[in-house]
Amino acid sequence: MLNSILEPLGTNILRFLDQAGDFAVVSGRAFRSIFRRPFDLANLMHQFQSVGVNSIPVIMLTSLAVSMVFAVQLAYGFKQFQAEGLASQVNGLAIVRELAPVISGLMMAGRVGSAMAAELGTMQVTEQIDALECLATDPVHYLFVPRLLAAAITLPLLVALSIYVGYWGGYLLLVGVEGQSAFVYANDFYKLLAFRDLRIALYKAFVFGLIIALVGCWRGYRTQGGAEGVGNAPTSSVVTSSLWILVSDFFLTKLLLV
Amino acid sequence: MEPVIDVVNLSKAFGPKIVLSNVNLQVQDGESLVVMGGSGTGKTVLLRNIMGLLKPDAGHVAVDGKIIQDLNRDELFEVRQKIGMCFQMAALFDSMSVEENVGFALKRHTTMTRAEILDRVDECLNMVGLKDTNKLKPSELSGGMKRRVGFARAIALKPKILLFDEPTTGLDPVMTDVIGRIILDLKAELGVTSITVTHDLKSAFEIADRIALIFRGECIACEPPAAFKVNPHPVVQQFLRGDADGPFLQDPPPPKRALARPVVHPVHID
Repeated sequence: MLNSILEPLGTNILRFLDQAGDFAVVSGRAFRSIFRRPFDLANLMHQFQSVGVNSIPVIMLTSLAVSMVFAVQLAYGFKQFQAEGLASQVNGLAIVRELAPVISGLMMAGRVGSAMAAELGTMQVTEQIDALECLATDPVHYLFVPRLLAAAITLPLLVALSIYVGYWGGYLLLVGVEGQSAFVYANDFYKLLAFRDLRIALYKAFVFGLIIALVGCWRGYRTQGGAEGVGNAPTSSVVTSSLWILVSDFFLTKLLLV
Repeated sequence: MEPVIDVVNLSKAFGPKIVLSNVNLQVQDGESLVVMGGSGTGKTVLLRNIMGLLKPDAGHVAVDGKIIQDLNRDELFEVRQKIGMCFQMAALFDSMSVEENVGFALKRHTTMTRAEILDRVDECLNMVGLKDTNKLKPSELSGGMKRRVGFARAIALKPKILLFDEPTTGLDPVMTDVIGRIILDLKAELGVTSITVTHDLKSAFEIADRIALIFRGECIACEPPAAFKVNPHPVVQQFLRGDADGPFLQDPPPPKRALARPVVHPVHID
């Protein structure tokens, strides 16, 4: 009876530790490989395109929708206390500190991380990664590094874009619909914020970029079992990186705000 | 003379399944070894051990005197540049064109200019009989063409050793013959040492200087084609006959229709 409970528990704990160790080793190899030759600029540019440029529409739409709906909630909530003027300040605070980095991170985990896992997973099951090895090319160097750099550099830029779009989303709602003064909105949006808040948002985005690329690439790289494995890799990559984004967001906020 | 490839007491198991058990093979410079055996007998695993894609459980593989499992990654990559591996399903990079596939290693490991790389790519594609396919994507190629592009990619760095993993499986008999001729041409023109894993007896006898047969993880024969043909071992003879009856299969095969018990109530279709 006790054995039947402890055995699967032990197996799962060992599997988790095994995977965590493997992730740490592969991530370490990826960081070490950043400075190794040859530098594949064309591949890096391609990743900037697919990770960064191609994500602009989705980030703009999500930021606009989230900031507008948040402004609706704030306008309605503060109206209860005759404090509508606070809506723009709180909107600014929420967008810069939390909404822009976290929502962008989660969207990118879904759009980019899953694509990385699916691409590398397909390469793994069709022996293309073995072919890279046989052509004396380290797959971690060739596949991970451009994706890692592209995600870590473009995610802060996309978060900056998200904040900018979020400003105008709130503007549309609070000024356009609720009839607040445009001048007051422009002044109040940044009233509760310091430059440090923007810096923290960009730090978070950088960390989220690393998480998305490393988890996505690692899941793809370790894909096993044909079509089913390739199907599982993106799902598992999105779930794992989303969880890590939320967990690290808490700790980064706690650490950097102090 | 020291063999170019030296497989010594190689054993490999996946969980409880023993795939290779105490295999010994030596391939001399310029020699062409053909490895045969039933499906799942560890022929591909042997090639993967030689490339260092798998680590042996016991024994070792030495290429040019260097023991593969003892090398660090940089040393291993150095050895791999001397070996061209042709995968069973070609394993072409599907996001790249034929030209980019063949020129991949040249771009990464040589200081050749773009024009020199393109010349070498054309030269390699000519060798495998694929002119004017440079701009095509792997998805636009037939199975036989993909294999040949895989060959071209493997020979681009002018390797000393070529490993072919079932190069003719799944191809029609004519294309099988074409692939056999290409392997012979490569052998004659490049003078490479090669190991070819195949099921196809006709091309095996054309290509081979020696033929090895792996049976249940062990190498039971390794000799020149003429001697292999008259090897009295019952497994060798059954393999050459291509007959289901004999010691080759672990599970007994289904009976031949003529010998099967008569059908008691045959169904009549009017």
